[in-house]
Amino acid sequence: MLEIGRLRVFHGVIEAVHGIDLCVREGECVALLGPNGAGKTSTLSAITGAARATGTIRLAGRDLSGLAIEDRCRLGIAIAPEGRRVFANLTVRENLVMGGAIRRDRRALAAEIDSWFQRFPVLGERRDQPAGTLSGGEQQMLAIARALLARPRILLLDEPSLGLAPQIVGRIFRIIEELKAQGTTILLVEQNAAAAIAVSDSVHVLSNGVVTRQGPAAAFGDGSGLMDELTGVHG
Amino acid sequence: MSRPRLNSAQRRGLLGSALLGLVVIAVVGAYYLWGEAWQARILYATFVNLLVVVGLQVFMGNANITSFAHAAFMGIAAYTAAICVTPAAMKAVSLPDAPWGLNAFELSPLASAALAVLITGVLGLLTGLFMARLNGVGMTIFSIAILVIVHSIFLHRTDIFKGNQALFGIPKILDLPQLTLMVVAAIFLARLFRESRTGLMLRAAADDEVGARAMGVDVFRVRLVAWVASTLFFAAAGIAYAFHLGTISARPFYFNFVFLTVAMLILGGLRSVSGAVFGTLLISIGLEAVRWLETGPVLAGVKLPELLGLSGLALGGVIVAVMAFLPNGLMGNREIDDLVLRRRNGG
Repeated sequence: MLEIGRLRVFHGVIEAVHGIDLCVREGECVALLGPNGAGKTSTLSAITGAARATGTIRLAGRDLSGLAIEDRCRLGIAIAPEGRRVFANLTVRENLVMGGAIRRDRRALAAEIDSWFQRFPVLGERRDQPAGTLSGGEQQMLAIARALLARPRILLLDEPSLGLAPQIVGRIFRIIEELKAQGTTILLVEQNAAAAIAVSDSVHVLSNGVVTRQGPAAAFGDGSGLMDELTGVHG
Repeated sequence: MSRPRLNSAQRRGLLGSALLGLVVIAVVGAYYLWGEAWQARILYATFVNLLVVVGLQVFMGNANITSFAHAAFMGIAAYTAAICVTPAAMKAVSLPDAPWGLNAFELSPLASAALAVLITGVLGLLTGLFMARLNGVGMTIFSIAILVIVHSIFLHRTDIFKGNQALFGIPKILDLPQLTLMVVAAIFLARLFRESRTGLMLRAAADDEVGARAMGVDVFRVRLVAWVASTLFFAAAGIAYAFHLGTISARPFYFNFVFLTVAMLILGGLRSVSGAVFGTLLISIGLEAVRWLETGPVLAGVKLPELLGLSGLALGGVIVAVMAFLPNGLMGNREIDDLVLRRRNGG
């Protein structure tokens, strides 16, 4: 589904990612783990087209290089961005409509939005409220629902647990598990290694812009050792 | 199951527009019931401003990009409509040196207005092709350049525009009732645009441009559509201006007017059409009240001193106060229907 080869990502003159390879197969959830500054978000930015990059990025066999952000979205890439960047001044409902901005089947879109309101009743109750007034967890749910309304081929999740209370993190990961069970292809960027490994098929560990370890999720156990490695805490 | 063609936000938009329309009609009604004849001129000018500010909201409010070009487009439409509609015999006197036979023809008011809208719209499109590619401050500077270039042409092509002298002899075609209808229609159009798919995309891009592009929004296209749409509102304002006053000159289509109308929008709250309407009404009516105070009137038997320059001071003071306490303007992100429905739901 998504194949990345020798990817180097630049922010101005600074090279944040130094030639990584990554592959996400259809229906798979791949975790990209690493500490702050490892280059995880830069990798996602390169995939969406928001950051300058060299190397190859292919989605379903199609080379994405040179395509604008909006064209990549139309080809099937959707992201729930880091820090739950929802459109704060738009209402919850308007955010969801924006998720389906590329769709022409407006009735089906409206029905899907209603079904998200049933799935996340708290969003339904606040449908006419500015999204900026939601709590962190609610904004994350909104960001995920919004990304899925584009009916993407692959969903990129950028640190969905960042800054959320442990209880809410559990809820968000249950949602990710459900999405995976429904066959959604996911590339999950996380620092919360244990939770990410539990829902993923394979894992890539990124450090200082290079992949230091990779393999099936099972090879990483419950991820507790990796957590220490990523956070620099050694017990 | 068939769904209504308008979604809930658009239905709310119709409600809000109707409420704003009622406010406008109430202002006109108050004038006809209790006003004096000289106030008609003030009310007409206020409603011309209202067309401009609502048009500003369409682009500037939804895209959150400050633009100063509106007076230029208004002037282009005003001059086009005026030159077309003025009888040839009159133009032989008022524009004796006009080139290209501009003083040798005349069109009906409707054809003149249509041509004014067309020319303004085409110029809006041409400038928009550049404008929509720029970002933030670049766009604002570009809009100032448009304003300065157009004003310079108005001033120096005296054979066509008469510069600072008045272009006179324009028949009076529109009056307050017709302008009121135009304003109400403009409010509906602006609100429906805000709630449309394009309006929503534009507002999303104003919040987070990269985020909106990642949802597939063609930011260039939606900005261009809004820019051209807003120039059409300015065209309507220019036509309404020229078709009422009988004379026009270049001076009103410049910075003073630009700043006043931008202040009206920002004070009311640029994100909402209701903000545009209330900002315009409050500043226009407030300024008239202050101008009256300036002249040193007798109030409750007390002769007040003359306070020349008070209007400028008051305008500045009100803007500073509102920005300090309500940085998003009086209405913020809210429309009139938000206030009404919230009150009903809450109470």
